[in-house]
Amino acid sequence: MTNRSRSVYARKRSPWRSIGIVMRSVWARGTGKFSLIVLAIWLVVSLVSLFWTPHSLWATDGYHVWSSPSRAHWLGTDGTGADIASWLMAGAGVDLLIAVLTVVVALAIGLLLTACMVARSTVLSRGSVVLIDALISIPTILVALMLAVPFGASVGVIVAACGLSYGLNMARVCRPQALRVANSSFVESARHSGVGAWRVFMRHVVPNIRSVMMVQLSLSAGTAVLAEAGLTYLGVGVPSGVPSWGHSLATSAKFITVYPLTVVWIGGCVTIAVIALNLLGDALRDASDPLTNPALRQVDYGA
Amino acid sequence: MASSQTLTRYVARRILLLLVALVAVSLVIFLAIRVLPGDVAVVMAGTDASPAQVSALRAQLGLDEPLWRQYVAWIGGVLQGDFGTALVSGQSVAAIVADRASITFPLILAGLMIALALGVPLGCAAAVTTRKRARGIYQAVSIVGGAVPALWAGLLLIMLFGRGTGLVGVFPTQGFPQNGWHSFGAAMLSLVLPAVTVGIVVGASMMRYTRSSLIEVASSDVIAMAMACGMTRTSAMIRVGLRLALPQLVSVIGLTFAEMITGVMVIENLFALPGIGTGLVTDIGNRDLVAVQSELLMLAALFLLIGIVVDVLHKVLDPRLGEDHD
Repeated sequence: MTNRSRSVYARKRSPWRSIGIVMRSVWARGTGKFSLIVLAIWLVVSLVSLFWTPHSLWATDGYHVWSSPSRAHWLGTDGTGADIASWLMAGAGVDLLIAVLTVVVALAIGLLLTACMVARSTVLSRGSVVLIDALISIPTILVALMLAVPFGASVGVIVAACGLSYGLNMARVCRPQALRVANSSFVESARHSGVGAWRVFMRHVVPNIRSVMMVQLSLSAGTAVLAEAGLTYLGVGVPSGVPSWGHSLATSAKFITVYPLTVVWIGGCVTIAVIALNLLGDALRDASDPLTNPALRQVDYGA
Repeated sequence: MASSQTLTRYVARRILLLLVALVAVSLVIFLAIRVLPGDVAVVMAGTDASPAQVSALRAQLGLDEPLWRQYVAWIGGVLQGDFGTALVSGQSVAAIVADRASITFPLILAGLMIALALGVPLGCAAAVTTRKRARGIYQAVSIVGGAVPALWAGLLLIMLFGRGTGLVGVFPTQGFPQNGWHSFGAAMLSLVLPAVTVGIVVGASMMRYTRSSLIEVASSDVIAMAMACGMTRTSAMIRVGLRLALPQLVSVIGLTFAEMITGVMVIENLFALPGIGTGLVTDIGNRDLVAVQSELLMLAALFLLIGIVVDVLHKVLDPRLGEDHD
């Protein structure tokens, strides 16, 4: 039985092909196109900043502090005469890292909790619901502060706090759909033909909650970038000296009353990135649902 | 509600759960501060303290006693309403928190009012409109509003309306009057910009929730029935749909309120308001472990309590949730 079922799965599942179809139909939407372009720029800028920035991050110029945008300094300089554009580019990398890591942690925690919630064992299913109910009302910032007391400010604190909160949130949002699938007849028949619980979860439950998950995850990525800005401003996020958008925003915030314009670029940059992430979630949901995207149906039933 | 008995049982179970959760949270807070790296006494005594001074400080803090005894002493005090004495200022933690809450809670309430005044009508309009262009504009408003960092929104408002430097310098941007609410007018004025900042950021999410919960009920038979009885689609959505969406909205408002207690931290910091959030950050910076552990516990208890109130309200407001859903 195992041989046959495996070959059927192997023929039906063509992940690369369906990813291509989904991406193309995201690209076909105006909002999807916008977010893909912004995210591509973000990625390229982050990669470039690893090797090259217009000025060194640590090159300060005491004679040209708070200069306005010019050819030498695209976005002007800050209070120490450091180039704002360079810091923004380097910050893009750190923020991208934070967003990606947060998504990974949230996905792991969310999947684990969802698996527990649909498990047959009542201890697991009851226990996980209770756990989520109890923890969901504790906000991200508080978790980050609790972690920052012993560990100090670090990227890890942001990722852990955001990943935990968004993972809990994802599990709660996914629960109704996951339960519906877990109680369906196709899951029952798979169980009866001897497929293991974890395999059923990955093969049957996860694909059916994928669209809900993707929206949640891309919202999480956006929220993580916002949380980074807030936490870094409070001094419990990215440690000082490490470039990040929150860091740039915080440094310019101190002198807002004297040099207001620098803050416009930095905040605008964060806002556009977060908009792109939020829009990507919606576009992905519509594009990856076989009910709204007919091209995907051929992959599922054909060949 | 099917019967008040089920409700009572539900509340009893949630409160039992709350107690268990509180014990767990208090243990986590306690251990996080004590066990993980960094000797608190060394940090507090400063870099130029002699070993004798450090050990004297440890004895004074009770840090040389076994962990379980420290924990019991702390929790025993908390149960009697004694949250300890802050190490830096020497005041009782309860008094300090009460002082800070008198700034944070008015700020949250004002922010929430602005958020609701902006978000609910906009959300209704976005759900009801049938014109394509209007829908696009509403969507753009909600997406941009949801992506703006609170810090940036505050900074932009300062640039526009801050006294002294703003384009239309009207409102003070830094601090709270020395004698607090005794100078009522000045206190209110200093809360205007922070409250509007909070209101804009939270209002965008209120708008999203209102719109999505209205759209959820839009396709239900209830709306069709109301329209069959002669209501227009718009009035059916507003008068019937909004009532149906109410329980969900109340849940969201409750949870938002809880989240705002720490969520306004950044705003408090920006406008130099000595509220709960700013105070917590200061205490953490000072390594004032007595104040930090009690404040964290109070906040956690408050959040858990709000969680229960929200869930109970949801059940009371939505008569369709008669039986337990577990």
